[in-house]
Amino acid sequence: MKPGIDDQSKPQTMIQEKYTKRYQNLKVAEALSNNHLYPFACNELSSIIDLGYSQLPKDLKAFIFRDCLSAFRLLPEMNTSAAVSAANLLVKSVESAFPKQKKNLAIVEFKQAKVALKRRTKSHDEHIDLPSLPQDIFVHIFSFLDLYSLLSSSQVSRSWNQATSEGSLWRSLFDLHFSHKVLIHIYPGIDWREAFKNEYILYKSSKMLRSGRGYCSYCDSVVWHDNLRCPKKQCRLKSGKKPLDLMLTHEVVNYLLGTTSSSDESDSEDEAVRGLWAYPTLQ
Amino acid sequence: MSESDLAIIKPAMMKSYIWLETSDGSIQQVEQEVAMFCPLICHQALQKGGGSSKNNAISLPQKVNPAMLSLIFDYCRFHQLPGRSNKERKVYDEKFMRMDTKRLCELTSAADSLQLKPLVDLTSRALARIIEGKTPEEIREIFHLPDDLTEEEKLEPLKNTMDDPRIRLLNRLYAKKRKELKERVKLKSIEVEERVDERSVDDLLSFINGRDHKVVNTSKSKKKNKKRKEHRNGTCKVSNKDSHNLHSKQRSVDETSSSLGGVSNLHNIEDDIFSKKAEFEDGYIDDEIDPALKEMLDREVEDFARRLNSSWVLSVGQERQPVHFSINGNGGTRRLTDTHTLLDIAIDD
Repeated sequence: MKPGIDDQSKPQTMIQEKYTKRYQNLKVAEALSNNHLYPFACNELSSIIDLGYSQLPKDLKAFIFRDCLSAFRLLPEMNTSAAVSAANLLVKSVESAFPKQKKNLAIVEFKQAKVALKRRTKSHDEHIDLPSLPQDIFVHIFSFLDLYSLLSSSQVSRSWNQATSEGSLWRSLFDLHFSHKVLIHIYPGIDWREAFKNEYILYKSSKMLRSGRGYCSYCDSVVWHDNLRCPKKQCRLKSGKKPLDLMLTHEVVNYLLGTTSSSDESDSEDEAVRGLWAYPTLQ
Repeated sequence: MSESDLAIIKPAMMKSYIWLETSDGSIQQVEQEVAMFCPLICHQALQKGGGSSKNNAISLPQKVNPAMLSLIFDYCRFHQLPGRSNKERKVYDEKFMRMDTKRLCELTSAADSLQLKPLVDLTSRALARIIEGKTPEEIREIFHLPDDLTEEEKLEPLKNTMDDPRIRLLNRLYAKKRKELKERVKLKSIEVEERVDERSVDDLLSFINGRDHKVVNTSKSKKKNKKRKEHRNGTCKVSNKDSHNLHSKQRSVDETSSSLGGVSNLHNIEDDIFSKKAEFEDGYIDDEIDPALKEMLDREVEDFARRLNSSWVLSVGQERQPVHFSINGNGGTRRLTDTHTLLDIAIDD
């Protein structure tokens, strides 16, 4: 080959590698097998595909395709409505952007997943009575939950509702989310849930929490946050009480592709925030 | 080994057993070091000298059945050996936790009654992982729990926004409007009867014209009106059931799929508002509205419908015929636009 052509192709492949490397560092594929992160990962895949699948380098396309297939394959195990709607969104993106052959393969995978899902929901019709646990055990279980799951739990039944009103749960959530930026006057009988809600609405945290992503300045990477902290141990030790900078899904996609798209969420801030407290949603 | 050798061996090397009795009456013996891992058994054995013989068996709490007991002792047997590395323990724990939800609950309950905190932690985390990311309906399915909260209680966190000045203002306006309504209704009691007849004619007309959803609409709204008059209490459940068809449709969609955040919260604010004004149901106030205001209300209806993203509502709005008829059909949307107009009026004041 003539040396001129080689020189031209070199920078191209370097750019390609950069995107692919970034994508691999994002660890989207790993998140797919996590029950909690599955919808977030699917949303990121959808956004990436929507934003410009055709312009991606070849090997990145291959990764995306592979991850879409595994997303559909894992769908029956997820078995939550949030997962199903995320997968629906993903299949729509696939339908509009993928080339014919890949599209058909992916859709076949998706349809198989839906059939498997239906079979699963049918088999779970046993009428067993689960043993009732004491309230303090419930509180202990809830102490491991994130905000959305806690709010969901509060709407399940009366006994669960009572357990979720426990102040210590909301106090630790408050600490987790706001203690680094809010000074609060603690008096006896303080309603921690109210305090949390006020700060939450004030800081409009709702949108930020819908991605599962944060930026860790200690390891300089975009990570799936583990309770608002970096999953890496060293970073957690270094950062102490300070939570990560949360990122929105479209910000993650912008970082990956070097684009500057904006979010297409049309609901206003207020409505989105209030929505959390009525019917918790995971988008 | 000879007998003399055995005598030299320290007593600690000999396996001693503790006798335990489970809730179903069966008695079994377990190696001491395994059983002593459980604080409750330890306490009983040391302080009260129990478990030394078959007759003196320690009776375990009711929640511990034999199956769970053997599971727990498997756990204890593994962990009480000091020679295990942390990684080994972690791997064992993860494998151990793979069981169905029912057994997990039983295990948690049993471990808790035996005061075995590490196992309680483990099972709690496993249960939390199951609950994570699920909607209330899904959680109820998994744990077979009854749906025994009223709508009001579910919206409770939102209710605390009564401190919101907008809602306080709305309530004041509703109180005023309610008074006016009552007076008007008294005057119009005769006309109400006539209107009922007219409506039934319209029913037939629309049915003949083949607009099935209209029929559903009116019958529902008629029932609504009747219900409202009978149940003049303020319970959210009733008023929510009575409330606008479009909301009930939207609500069922929301409850099944949890991905309509922007929409669901919108109608929840309204539900809250509407629960406060249970008596404010009749659409008869619209008789006084002049055409100009009506047009404005129409526009607000469509705007509202767009926001709710429901094509059904739009179609109803477009096919409107006689005023009173359609208003009852659109009872829900009317109410919302009324609140909007009331708010505007108040602000203008």
